[in-house]
Amino acid sequence: MENALPFFVAIPLGAAFFIPLVSLTLKWVPDLLANAVMAVLAAMAFLTIGQAGFYHMGGWGTHLGIDLRLDGLTTLMLVTINTIGLAMAIFSVQYMTKYTSKLRYYSLFLCLIAGLNGIVLTGDLFNLYIFMEIVAISSYALVAFGCEHDELEAAFKYAVLGTVASAFILIGIALLYAMLGTLNMAEMAVKLAAGGMNMPLTVALGLFLCGFGLKAALVPFHAWLPDAHPAAPAPVSAMLSGVVIKTAGIYVLSRLIFNVFTVQLVPDLFSILRLFGVVSMIVGGILALGQWDMKRLLAYSSISQIGYIVVGLGLGTPLGLTGALFHMLNHSVFKSLLFLNAGAVEYATGSRDLRHLGGLSRNLPFTANMSLLGSMAISGIPPFNGFWSKLIIVLACIESGHPWLALAAVAMSLVTLVAVLKMLKRAFYEEHKPLTVHATEVPVLMRAAMLLLATLCVVLALLVLTGLRTPFLIAPAVDALSTWAGTAPGQGMGI
Amino acid sequence: MRGNDRVATHNCHSRSNRESRKVAAFDGLSNMELLLNSMVLPVTFPLAAGILCLLLPKAFDRARSVLATVASAITVLIVCRLLLEWKQLPGNAPMILSGSAWGSLRLDHLSSFILLVTTVFGFLISLYSMGYMRGKERLREYYAWLLGTIGIACGVILANNLLLLLIFWGLLGFALYVMIGIAGPEAAEAAKKSLIIVGGSDCLLMLGVTIVWVLADTLTLSSIRMDLADGIRYVAFFCFAIAALAKAGAMPFHSWVPDCGAQAPASVAAFLPAALDKLLGIYLLVRLTTGMFVMNTAMNTLLMLVGAGTIICAVMMALVQHDLKRLLSYHAVSQVGYMVLGIGTGTALGIAGGLFHMLNNTIYKSALFLCAGSVEKKTGTTDLDNLGGLAKVMPLTFVSCLVAALAISGIPPLNGFYSKWMIYQAMVDSGRNGNCLWLIFLATAMFGSALTLASFVKVLHAVFLCKRSAELRHRDIREVGFSMWLPGIGLACLCVIFGVFAYQLPLATMIFPAVGGVVQLSGAWYASVATVLLLAAYALGVLVYLLSTVRKARSCNTYIGGEIMEEVFHHKGTDGKVENVEVTGVDFYKTVEDLSPLREIFGAARAKLFDIYDLGGKVSAYFWEILRAAHGGLLPMYLTWVLAGLLVLLWMLFSGGRVAI
Repeated sequence: MENALPFFVAIPLGAAFFIPLVSLTLKWVPDLLANAVMAVLAAMAFLTIGQAGFYHMGGWGTHLGIDLRLDGLTTLMLVTINTIGLAMAIFSVQYMTKYTSKLRYYSLFLCLIAGLNGIVLTGDLFNLYIFMEIVAISSYALVAFGCEHDELEAAFKYAVLGTVASAFILIGIALLYAMLGTLNMAEMAVKLAAGGMNMPLTVALGLFLCGFGLKAALVPFHAWLPDAHPAAPAPVSAMLSGVVIKTAGIYVLSRLIFNVFTVQLVPDLFSILRLFGVVSMIVGGILALGQWDMKRLLAYSSISQIGYIVVGLGLGTPLGLTGALFHMLNHSVFKSLLFLNAGAVEYATGSRDLRHLGGLSRNLPFTANMSLLGSMAISGIPPFNGFWSKLIIVLACIESGHPWLALAAVAMSLVTLVAVLKMLKRAFYEEHKPLTVHATEVPVLMRAAMLLLATLCVVLALLVLTGLRTPFLIAPAVDALSTWAGTAPGQGMGI
Repeated sequence: MRGNDRVATHNCHSRSNRESRKVAAFDGLSNMELLLNSMVLPVTFPLAAGILCLLLPKAFDRARSVLATVASAITVLIVCRLLLEWKQLPGNAPMILSGSAWGSLRLDHLSSFILLVTTVFGFLISLYSMGYMRGKERLREYYAWLLGTIGIACGVILANNLLLLLIFWGLLGFALYVMIGIAGPEAAEAAKKSLIIVGGSDCLLMLGVTIVWVLADTLTLSSIRMDLADGIRYVAFFCFAIAALAKAGAMPFHSWVPDCGAQAPASVAAFLPAALDKLLGIYLLVRLTTGMFVMNTAMNTLLMLVGAGTIICAVMMALVQHDLKRLLSYHAVSQVGYMVLGIGTGTALGIAGGLFHMLNNTIYKSALFLCAGSVEKKTGTTDLDNLGGLAKVMPLTFVSCLVAALAISGIPPLNGFYSKWMIYQAMVDSGRNGNCLWLIFLATAMFGSALTLASFVKVLHAVFLCKRSAELRHRDIREVGFSMWLPGIGLACLCVIFGVFAYQLPLATMIFPAVGGVVQLSGAWYASVATVLLLAAYALGVLVYLLSTVRKARSCNTYIGGEIMEEVFHHKGTDGKVENVEVTGVDFYKTVEDLSPLREIFGAARAKLFDIYDLGGKVSAYFWEILRAAHGGLLPMYLTWVLAGLLVLLWMLFSGGRVAI
């Protein structure tokens, strides 16, 4: 399996540039090719389950070359990215016909996938930065894809704030390199453990927390998200909210915190995470309540859900990590589903303003039921997946002696419920409005993508049957975070 | 296979044991044998039948309703078989099924009685729905969820594992949401409100379950017994209590019940808020107060306070309603007060009274809602202004409504009287044991009972007795069909039977064993003897009337509903005869609304100042406004936030352990 690791980046990157070449005359090629690529990647991601290993690019050693490494957390992320990506590709076939250039869309989309896969695979901080920039730049372009006033403004804000974050991260990397003389994360961990913290390293950590916190849209670094996520085409919104903020934000943060810096070096690290997590949870949740734009409501709720994940990470216990990673997986599924629902509503009616919608459960019964399911999953109604990850997080809060965090978590669960019920009622269950009277159900491939994600909402709940404390797919990822630094496989090589 | 020989042991307290046991509760996926186990079948059978209902194509709507009715009848039989199986166990020990993917199930006196009542009501409602729901839309979902609700409710009752209880409990809230929504767009708001209040209490239940899980080191309901020793245990208790009270619809978590009752289909209103949610809410409350937690005086008094407050406030609201279904819903809230009051006394008699009242309330309140549904089906409205004179054309509906109304008002010898009588006695007892507020609670409860009677006088008059309204006068209204009047009449008969033979039938066989103690009734009430005496008294009254021995009549002003109707009756026409006057009943108790402190209170209630849903909405809107004002959309401001955030981060990192959250 190790030898296949570069293909997670190479295939989408290659396809991204190949698509424009071959499809100038054949209009169906981009659709087919993008879907085929995503299907292959998703299949490959599932094959990595249970595997571990690392790959040295070009045969160079760890010290000089680029390492790709596969462990439990990487597998979890690869599965998430490529499965959601596949659903988005399926959805895009019919949804993106309302935009002019499918060709460019698929190019950018596949670049995004390549960057995301690269972030989770690389074992080297500087390459991580490169992949992160690939993700960031393709996201800016995708947010601006509609080329209307709102889209451009959102993309501009996103680009400015994203660049600030990138700059902070780059300075942080430079500081680390200056202090430690290596860019490989495993080696950094070893050297940090040996040498301890000092002032420049602490500043670097602060810059990382700020930079990746911005990528993860933690409050107060969240201001770009409520503009950028609604402005993008629906599958891109789903990708951004469901996968990108988690890969570029949460994944990297947890790698840095658990595998590189570790709490032994920085005792305050966990309380910082808990503070930022709980603030994001509350602020995002309350802001979601008053929104009238369906996607904007969902975007704010993403901030709140990210808060749950960060609180879970900040508990630092294995159960907290399990809850956080499980919630990350679950959130990427149900939030993508809800964004696709919003996209379907917009496709059918031309609007996503809840004040102008209503009664769609009679015109779009399928979409309405999918929305109901996704909403119940996000608000933690049993037996859907969101219930289980919230339960684990609340349990972890109580077990580690943080009852107030648990109370905040259940309170925000209620607030989330209120927000999504408002959306459901306004969009689907109220009386018809002029805009919605003649709407018809969306085409079959869009429904198929929603069905895929909705099925996952139910199937992922079954993961707890493999043990509430050790769910399949999640437990190896938790292991990777708790043990990586000690047993780095590249440790003895190439130095 | 019998579950009783596999009683779980719950004495492993070390951390490693606990880890392995929690995992073990989930291993071993379902096998066929387990699914067909007699304890699991009450859950799985209705669910399976519900799925079948969902899969039947639209053309088979008639078959679907028959299928649902038959399936719910079979569920009753399954439960009966289970109960017989359990009765054969030596000494009526609880029947426990554990160590499987299902967590653990338990059947004891309390759960067996509630299980039986739940499934019987499920059957009655399915039967009623055959007529009531005919020709309506979304029947596929309706019957699927109706059967699903029966199965899920059985799951709640049988669950001996807190996690299992939490799952079923949450599912029930979801089922409520979907079933209210079936009524159509008008019900969207009621559905949302119900799920927010009930789902919000589910969130708290999740917190409670996790706290108990960590503190008691087990999820097995039967082995948890906690003292209210410190703050966190109080939090856990309040979480559970709020979940139970919100489900039952006690104040201040009641406000979803009137909306749901008014907007949902009548069969749903009769089944969920009026019957099932009461059963389950009170079931959990009894489990809490008698099993999971050791109650203290303060908590008991608090419960009694909630109960007494609920009785009086809800009945005052009921008094002034104009919509039949909404009025009945307020009574559904008010009656919960009696149950909570009884349970709050903490004595065996009080809890038995509370449980008996729960059973009685389920019977007569469902009957009343079903009557309201029948009236709605035939007239198309439940507005008291537009009804009237239906007693002549719908005699069976009228009789069942009359009996149920008398029962809810606590008229002897009907069942409502007996359970209230028990609760009153329990309160007197609690006064003897040192509860200083007992007299206030007792007075409140009795006054509430009188107001209940007053409000049902209004209902009976406005719907059945007064002249028909202009809209209905020329319409041909007939009695509802067999499947719709039968449940109502059956329930009315139960009201009589459970009142007259209260001790012999429900109390001795179901309620007293459920509270597990020898219950001492201090005040004697021999229902059968009293019935004979009452009947004799009525007969005597009729005799006196017939003989017309009273010749010297006193004359006074005409009054109806406690108010002098001067201007109505004394307005004479040109020929000196009294004109054709109409008293619709809607105007009853208008004066109550205008009395001084009450006027302001009613005004506040109408402005929804006592509605936890609206209050919550206002509070969150306030915070939302603050946060929204901060998000002005200006890029420089957002950049400032980023920098400020960075500074906070660096300060926290350099402060070296001083910051703790």
